[in-house]
Amino acid sequence: MSCVRAALLARGLPRGRAAICSAILPGAPFSQVSPLLPRGLHCSATPYTSTKSLVPRPSEPEKKPGKVPAPHEELFQRAPGSARDKASFVRAVQSFGQHNVRKRGHVDFIYLALRKMREYGVERDLAAYNLLLDIFPKEVFRPRNIFQRIFIHYPRQQECGVAVLEQMENHGVMPNKETEFLLLQIFGRRSHPMLKFVRMRLWLTRFQNVNPFPVPRELPQDAVELATLGLRHMEPDLSARVTVYQKPSPDDTRDPADSIQPHIVGIQSPDQQDALARHNPARPLFVEGPFSLWLRNKCVYYHILRADLLPPEEKEVQEIPEEWNLYYPMQLDLDYARSGWDDYEFDIDEVEEGPVFAICMAGAHDQETLARWIQGLQETNPALARIPVVFRLAGSTGELLAASGLEDSRQSQREGQEEDERVQRQQQGQS
Amino acid sequence: MSGCGLFLRRAAAARARRALVALTASRRPLRTSPQSRAFAKELCLGKIEKNGVFPFPEVSQDELNEINQLVKPVEKFFLEEVDSRKIDREGKIPDDTLEKLKSLGLFGMQVPEEYGGLGLSHTMYARLGEAISLDPSITVTLAAHQAIGLKGIILVGTEEQKAKYLPKLASGEHIAAFCLTEPGSGSDAASIQSRATLSEDKKHYILNGSKVWISNGGLASVFTVFARTEVADSDGSVKDKITAFIVERDFGGVTNGKPEDKLGIRGSNTCEVHFENTKVPVENVLGEVGGGFKLAMNILNSGRFSMGSLSAAVIKKLIELTAEYACTRKQFNRKLSEFGLIQEKFALMAQKAYVMESMAYLTAGMLDQPGLPDCSIEAAMVKVFSSEGVWQCTSEALQILGGSGYMKDYPFERMLRDARILLIFEGTNEILRLFIALTGLQHAGRTLTAKMNELKRGNMSVVMETVGRRLRDSLGQTVDMGLTGDLGLVHPSLEDSAIKLEQNVFLFGRTVEALLRRFGKSIVDEQLVLKRVANILINMYGMVAVLSRASRSIRIGLRDHDHEILLANMFCVEAYFQNLFSLSQLDKDAPENLDKQTKKIAQQILEKRAYICAHPLDRMS
Repeated sequence: MSCVRAALLARGLPRGRAAICSAILPGAPFSQVSPLLPRGLHCSATPYTSTKSLVPRPSEPEKKPGKVPAPHEELFQRAPGSARDKASFVRAVQSFGQHNVRKRGHVDFIYLALRKMREYGVERDLAAYNLLLDIFPKEVFRPRNIFQRIFIHYPRQQECGVAVLEQMENHGVMPNKETEFLLLQIFGRRSHPMLKFVRMRLWLTRFQNVNPFPVPRELPQDAVELATLGLRHMEPDLSARVTVYQKPSPDDTRDPADSIQPHIVGIQSPDQQDALARHNPARPLFVEGPFSLWLRNKCVYYHILRADLLPPEEKEVQEIPEEWNLYYPMQLDLDYARSGWDDYEFDIDEVEEGPVFAICMAGAHDQETLARWIQGLQETNPALARIPVVFRLAGSTGELLAASGLEDSRQSQREGQEEDERVQRQQQGQS
Repeated sequence: MSGCGLFLRRAAAARARRALVALTASRRPLRTSPQSRAFAKELCLGKIEKNGVFPFPEVSQDELNEINQLVKPVEKFFLEEVDSRKIDREGKIPDDTLEKLKSLGLFGMQVPEEYGGLGLSHTMYARLGEAISLDPSITVTLAAHQAIGLKGIILVGTEEQKAKYLPKLASGEHIAAFCLTEPGSGSDAASIQSRATLSEDKKHYILNGSKVWISNGGLASVFTVFARTEVADSDGSVKDKITAFIVERDFGGVTNGKPEDKLGIRGSNTCEVHFENTKVPVENVLGEVGGGFKLAMNILNSGRFSMGSLSAAVIKKLIELTAEYACTRKQFNRKLSEFGLIQEKFALMAQKAYVMESMAYLTAGMLDQPGLPDCSIEAAMVKVFSSEGVWQCTSEALQILGGSGYMKDYPFERMLRDARILLIFEGTNEILRLFIALTGLQHAGRTLTAKMNELKRGNMSVVMETVGRRLRDSLGQTVDMGLTGDLGLVHPSLEDSAIKLEQNVFLFGRTVEALLRRFGKSIVDEQLVLKRVANILINMYGMVAVLSRASRSIRIGLRDHDHEILLANMFCVEAYFQNLFSLSQLDKDAPENLDKQTKKIAQQILEKRAYICAHPLDRMS
């Protein structure tokens, strides 16, 4: 789209026409427009070119030869000492309105402010977005006749309005009545921002709670708490207990990978404990991992303690004891069971997997740390002492690990040792 | 003075007993009717087993006189000397009350005469129970003593055991308790942890374990205890099986916790009982070694039928208490008794009491038949119906009084609290419903399987019969099971109700067949289906009981039998429509059947372990 636009620009077509062409390209969304690229299409002059600025700017920044600052950047740089919070953001936006009565360059300013919102921590603040929309001059961009309505009226402004709404959408901010009122005033009922608004009202409500396993907005900073959250997130059984087997050493909690004593947090449900107690000691258990789990924008890694699926001949058939229920028969001596014609369930081919006995999240993914986890597990699962445990730690955790870049150096040192599967008798090996 | 009165009463009781011996000797052989097949089981096949049900069981005039003679002093004692409110407040039955109960012989109602008990038949036990039911705490204490506590000794005890224990238990010198429930084992016998191990010299068992919620646990000196023992199987392997023991407190190592603080029946003593290395002589094994499970089942099954008459007595008392209030209290210049909504409650209470009584005495009469008829389903049905009825009626009675009923000045709140336990103990009603339905279905399943096998083998007569029946069904024949008509067992004034019952029974038989064909043995997991089957069975049993009783009342001309007809017809119509609804729910794909939705809702809630829905005031933005 932008190349189309560039070509049009080069041919010097009237700007309104060019914008229409670009907008009616099939499937071209407005918001793809980079805020800086189509400067030439802007209907209002930028402050640098403006010589007729009526209101003197408080601090006119000089053009730097190296990096060209975005227009109005100075509004956000004014007070370097003060904290970047909602108040200062509001101040910056208001100062634009105060010093720029004609609202020249407001589109550029809005694009800039949108980019700055994350810095100021207001990217989820509905009031901040409404404030931004309020910058637009009212009633100016409303189409007044049928032709204006047919063709996109003031496309760049409409794109900018859509961009504001889009950023709201990306951060899950639901527009309210005030937003609607502002959009009506600025662009009128049948405009693209209004269409976007209506769609947001419809779909945001439907998608806001679409995740049946919601993750809190603010993730805990503490590694142990984060691990607990992640473990609870994975474990469906609510009676499962989270145990902190090892606390991170207090001096280095920021980066758990570098701490001398990494944290070890595990989860196990009573059912898993029972299953582990019944496990045949002749069959080894495996510690596998690390596997990744994304919690919003954080990636955590976990390990599982699992066993292979029992071969069918070893499965113990659960038989109904003779003397079980004091009150009523537990089975009827009929020859047949429920027939197929009465079964309306979908025919689902279920693949059985081996049992998982426990999950843990640790600050380090080496065998030493995980062995300490197994030791801790032995306290609540005495049967574990008799079962051999094999550590099958993956050499690389794939791109996810590289992306986080947490423990590459330590990991790579140990990978060589861990690559080969070593059977460790728990009692002697790791204690 | 009172001692003298006591003596007189005692003498009367003794006379009654002697007369009873003579009676039983003369009476029993006279009843030579063939033993009826279990009534409820036949209902599942769509048949009404009339034997034993029609005519309504009667007692002879002599027996009646005897029982009245017994009941009178007991009733008088309960009305005049037992202060239920005080018992409830203090959480204890006063010692002198207990002494008097003993002197009245109430601790040995069902103990045979030769061991010093009253040796009452089931019918008479039910009748005497009505008098006792005036105080629930005492009722429970007595029931825990003899309906379950010492029942094992009567059922399977050896001559020596009977001679050693029963006389003292019958006189009330010793109180018995039944120790089955454990912290981890309610109805699940497989999780009983108490253990008895044979000592080296094979003369003793060493008993260890704890039991919870033992009624009379603090008072009792003789316990029927169920514990695991190692039993060598016939093939030589050693298995853990449950064995019952008679344990005296004097054996040592028996301790009990402090009495539990309960919602109702606060006067009865309920506590934990611990056994620590208690030495039990091998002679004290009750029944066979390893036969404890069956014994426990038998004891539990046999104790339930009496709840019907007890509950009916409670409701009768409630009616008296509330009727007086309703006829004196005025609102808007009208007496409460003139309001339809209040009248409805009285009709309900009368109806429930009538059905309960009928069911209880019908079952007692069946139990009193010669041979040992298995009436466990019937007894369970009586228990379920009466416990729920009495809970509903106490609640309605309290409602009649409105705010006053909620106050402690009136006995209604206490009666409500006391009634609540009935739904729980002796097998919760949920479990008993499963028992009723599954036992009935098992019987039907056996017959059905036999028929199916015959069909497969190609037995022509069975094939013809089946085809013929199908044809007749599809042509819509009228159902006639011989209850009505010229030679009918039911009086013509109850004819409509009898026809309704027949229709229900017929439809039920077909439905059971369809259910068994549809679910097969996996029906044990369809608890919602089983619940409906049980409900229908209970309703039908109630209908039969009232029809039989009301017909008898009309024919022999009992006073106020027209009132009975009203009650009987009212119940039958209500039950008929309830049954029709339940039956339609049992159809496959019935729109009335919401089982799938019910299960899904429950699953989702239990997954989260909380109420799921958002608050009505919540907003999306």
